[in-house]
Amino acid sequence: MDKSSEHNGSVGLLVDKHVEYVKSLDKRHDEIEYWMTEHLRISGVYWGAVSLHLLRKSDALRKDDIIDYVLRCQNADGGFGGHVGHDSHLLYTMSAIQLLVMYDALNRVNAGKVIGYVKSLQDETTGEVSGDVWGEKDTRFAYISLAIMSFFDAVDQLNVDGVVEYVRKAMNYDGGFGSGPGGESHAAQVFTCLAALAIAGRLDIVDRERLSGWLAERQQKSGGLNGRPQKLEDVCYSWWVLSSLNILARVHWVDCQKLCDYILSAQDVDNGGIADRPGDIADVYHTCFGIAGLSLAGYDKYSLAEVDPVYCMPLSVIKSAGLRKWVDKVPENWEH
Amino acid sequence: MSQQEEWKDVVPIPQDDGKNPVCPIAYTDEYREMTDYFRAVMASGEVSQRALKLSGRVIDANAAHYTAWVYRKKLVLDLGVDISEELAWVAEISGRHIKNYQLWHHREALLELLLDPKQVALEPQDQRMRNPDIRRELQFIDRVIDQDSKNFHAWSHRQWVVRAYGLWDQEMAFVDTQINQDVRNNSAWNQRYFALTRNQAADAFVLTKEAADAEIAYVIDKIKLAPNNESPWSYILGLLLRHAPAMLYEDLLPSINALASDKNGALAVVSTPFYWSALVDIYEKQAEVLDAEQRDAVKGLAREACESLAEQYDPVRAKYWKYRKQELTAQ
Repeated sequence: MDKSSEHNGSVGLLVDKHVEYVKSLDKRHDEIEYWMTEHLRISGVYWGAVSLHLLRKSDALRKDDIIDYVLRCQNADGGFGGHVGHDSHLLYTMSAIQLLVMYDALNRVNAGKVIGYVKSLQDETTGEVSGDVWGEKDTRFAYISLAIMSFFDAVDQLNVDGVVEYVRKAMNYDGGFGSGPGGESHAAQVFTCLAALAIAGRLDIVDRERLSGWLAERQQKSGGLNGRPQKLEDVCYSWWVLSSLNILARVHWVDCQKLCDYILSAQDVDNGGIADRPGDIADVYHTCFGIAGLSLAGYDKYSLAEVDPVYCMPLSVIKSAGLRKWVDKVPENWEH
Repeated sequence: MSQQEEWKDVVPIPQDDGKNPVCPIAYTDEYREMTDYFRAVMASGEVSQRALKLSGRVIDANAAHYTAWVYRKKLVLDLGVDISEELAWVAEISGRHIKNYQLWHHREALLELLLDPKQVALEPQDQRMRNPDIRRELQFIDRVIDQDSKNFHAWSHRQWVVRAYGLWDQEMAFVDTQINQDVRNNSAWNQRYFALTRNQAADAFVLTKEAADAEIAYVIDKIKLAPNNESPWSYILGLLLRHAPAMLYEDLLPSINALASDKNGALAVVSTPFYWSALVDIYEKQAEVLDAEQRDAVKGLAREACESLAEQYDPVRAKYWKYRKQELTAQ
């Protein structure tokens, strides 16, 4: 029998193990996955940093090292690559800016350069946003472009109506959202669309009842959540589904205790970290979204810091950055 | 590579991880060597067959290396590489990287170079369907969907191909095949909506009575095969809610009721949460158009359905159903 499946949620949240796990990530040079993830190294650092912040152990990684590293990933075009010397991409620019905000170092970058980079990826006529110079379009990039701009209080420098229209076209008959117009609903894309609309102050265009119902439907008998009908549950959807329900003010529509037990049962009780599902090998991505899911489902019970559902960053950080204002733009009858 | 005559003139550029890296990366020697050379090739802007080959090796070793894809596209353009050959190369490596975003985007870009959608749109549709490049692309997608019938990228790419080249006439037949193979494949149900509406904006598409009746009959047929299957329920409710809400209670409800009283399959249907959940949605919509007395009766039925869901058929979402019930009381 493998390590984690013999345990269940009753072991509680293994805070110290997870802290050690995240700290150990830069020492695992002999593992093949490690070099294969070079291109998204900066996102890995972000996932680790969010985990530690929510575990209330933000000082477990050295702040100066992180800031130096992030700054070295920036390119002349103003964007950030997934690692030093890699081309700029919107995904990694998001991780970089999130890290700088979390470590209170946003003033270390030239805001105009980053803003210019994000603007360069939007088609001003249609509002569609690409991920990089290559031109791949996706609702993920709609969210990220708005989020990055919001950190610099520069949302109005984008064609916001265009972004909103693009997101609206990706809304499906089941109330969910896909990666673009016509694409199948997928919980992670639902998150990006809701978070984009939250920042744009346009959650009014959502079919709240139908979407909340679809999201609640993602909970399976195990307590875990899946991302689409007939797919397996996966710990990362604890975040994508629950953050969406949180934005919709409907977290209570799923059984949070069963979900928490499911997440906890996917912990590696020996080495720390959380896997995609019980019995699998832990990784930093699922560790981050597992902990963030726990924070939304019951932060007080597990002594976790509260997380903001739109930015996937500690609530305290979002508040001091003045970004909690998305809550004021939620439709009035949503009772936030 | 350092031993090969072909690469003698290139000085590899090692990855710069800084002096005290937060996260130094362990590379296997082979991968490190090829990326060191590739970095040098990109730095000098080399456009050559060997650079093309090297980019292919780097991508195949790590398909998520997005910088390598960007450079490869530049090489394809600058070298005037035969696009069909490049598509064949993508197909060859695709089995190992089927969930990689860049691979699909590269394919899309290549197709646009090969077949200008604006030009193709001028041809009659049956002629487009006979175009060997289009046929090859659809066959490629078929193979991927055969291996993983819910591959998000493959479906999304298929939508792009259908939309870009206007291949609407045959799409419903493809959807049918997919649903017949696996009635629980939600990607196929989503494609059904895409094909039926031809991806028009929700407020622009008009659903005729005939088409809606046909869809109801189709869905009922599929529910009979597998009642506890979210996809057809969600499809028909969503379709009618959006485009013909009155048909929910005028046409769909009688069909569902007939199904629920059919002596061969009634039990299987009425024990699924989707049946009861559909009743809640339908009654709720119907209540909007009824006079006070009838409205209360229909809402009562909806509340009973919520109660059954919370207590018996869908207890994991009991809180949700209690909320729905409360809403039905309050209105």
